[in-house]
Amino acid sequence: MEELAEGVRAVLAEDGEVTLTPIPGGASRETWLVEGEGRRWVLRRDPEGSVSLVPIAEEFALIERAREAGVPVPEPIAVEPAGGRFGSAGMLMSFVAGTSVAPRILRKPEFEEARNRLTVQLAESLAGIHAVDPSGLDGVLPASADDPALAQIEEWERQLDEIGEPLPAVELGLRWLRTHAPEPAEPHLVHGDFRLGNFIVDEHGLAAVIDWELAHLGDPVEDIGWLCIRSWRFGNDDRPVAGIGHLEELIAAYEGAGGDPVDRERVRYWEAFGNVKWAVICARQAHDHLAGVRRSHELASLGRRVCEPEWDMLQLIV
Amino acid sequence: MQDRPTAPELLESVAEYLVGELRPDVPREQRFMVLVAANVCAVVAREIRAGESPDREDLALFSELLGEETADVHAGAAELSRRLRAGELDDRIDELAPRLEGHVRRKLEIARPGYDEP
Repeated sequence: MEELAEGVRAVLAEDGEVTLTPIPGGASRETWLVEGEGRRWVLRRDPEGSVSLVPIAEEFALIERAREAGVPVPEPIAVEPAGGRFGSAGMLMSFVAGTSVAPRILRKPEFEEARNRLTVQLAESLAGIHAVDPSGLDGVLPASADDPALAQIEEWERQLDEIGEPLPAVELGLRWLRTHAPEPAEPHLVHGDFRLGNFIVDEHGLAAVIDWELAHLGDPVEDIGWLCIRSWRFGNDDRPVAGIGHLEELIAAYEGAGGDPVDRERVRYWEAFGNVKWAVICARQAHDHLAGVRRSHELASLGRRVCEPEWDMLQLIV
Repeated sequence: MQDRPTAPELLESVAEYLVGELRPDVPREQRFMVLVAANVCAVVAREIRAGESPDREDLALFSELLGEETADVHAGAAELSRRLRAGELDDRIDELAPRLEGHVRRKLEIARPGYDEP
């Protein structure tokens, strides 16, 4: 811990002392608040001994590209891809004020203006992400598959196989996705976890899109379907867009900001996919607890939430 | 025979303590974890109360969908999952989807009652 603070101090070239406080949340990467004299930063790093889906240097590069495209993101400051002074692979970013806690964003009176603006801001950010030139991402992300939907289905089948628990409803969903896949989309940069919880919001609305570790090249509508699944509405079930807005409002603003025309059936497809993906992630988090990767009653309890996205998926395909 | 409180009653007493007494005294950023703990107690209490009937109904459903008896509910779920993954049931997806709603509903009744209501 002292060693880590020393490493961070060296990277920042801070003369004074820096202190590190863990920020809770973040499923697979550790997040630390770094405080120096009158200044704040955020350190994100892999837990020691673990490797994430998108290596940290790639996440760092993606945040740089998104920033260039006008997407609100934290300012990337330094990266240590091999661990080095951060102990494990990590990156330093500017601190963005606000909250990412969904119930606060949805219900606190001080976020009323933010709620009024958020649907359009999310649409504009999505259009910006999807406008990033994929040819400039060589060496940052793996090349796009011929069929992005099939590639995603295979990825989450693989993750499910690692868990080893039988989930017949999820398997049914995966087969429905295989047999109903839309025409392969032109590959775009896809955030991969674009949802309430990964948006830092202040009183004026969206301040930053965070958590890029599921980013990949794929069908841009995947991000829209994932954004809209019921689990990210946090109880505001009649408002598909982050529990705040309506789909038509989002699509109008997305197309207005330069996004490709959105086919509603394709949104339904990717919403069904999103539910399958969330079901697998829930099962996986519980499995991480059971396997001793990270013991936590919160992760354990997610195993019993698999049935929620299973239910929502069945409503979409029946 | 064990004395009262029953197992679900004991769990409910812990859940009440966690939410009613402990939660306000815990630092704000840890309160969510207290709620999660209380919810886990409530889930287990409902599972104990439901007894063996959800598993029995799932076993009957899986056996019917597979067209053969299976040793237990876990083996039935595994065989159904295997056949689905292999694509052997692709021509029955529309028939199977509403049938599996029953299985998912039985999980929701324990884990999240009311989630399946509009």
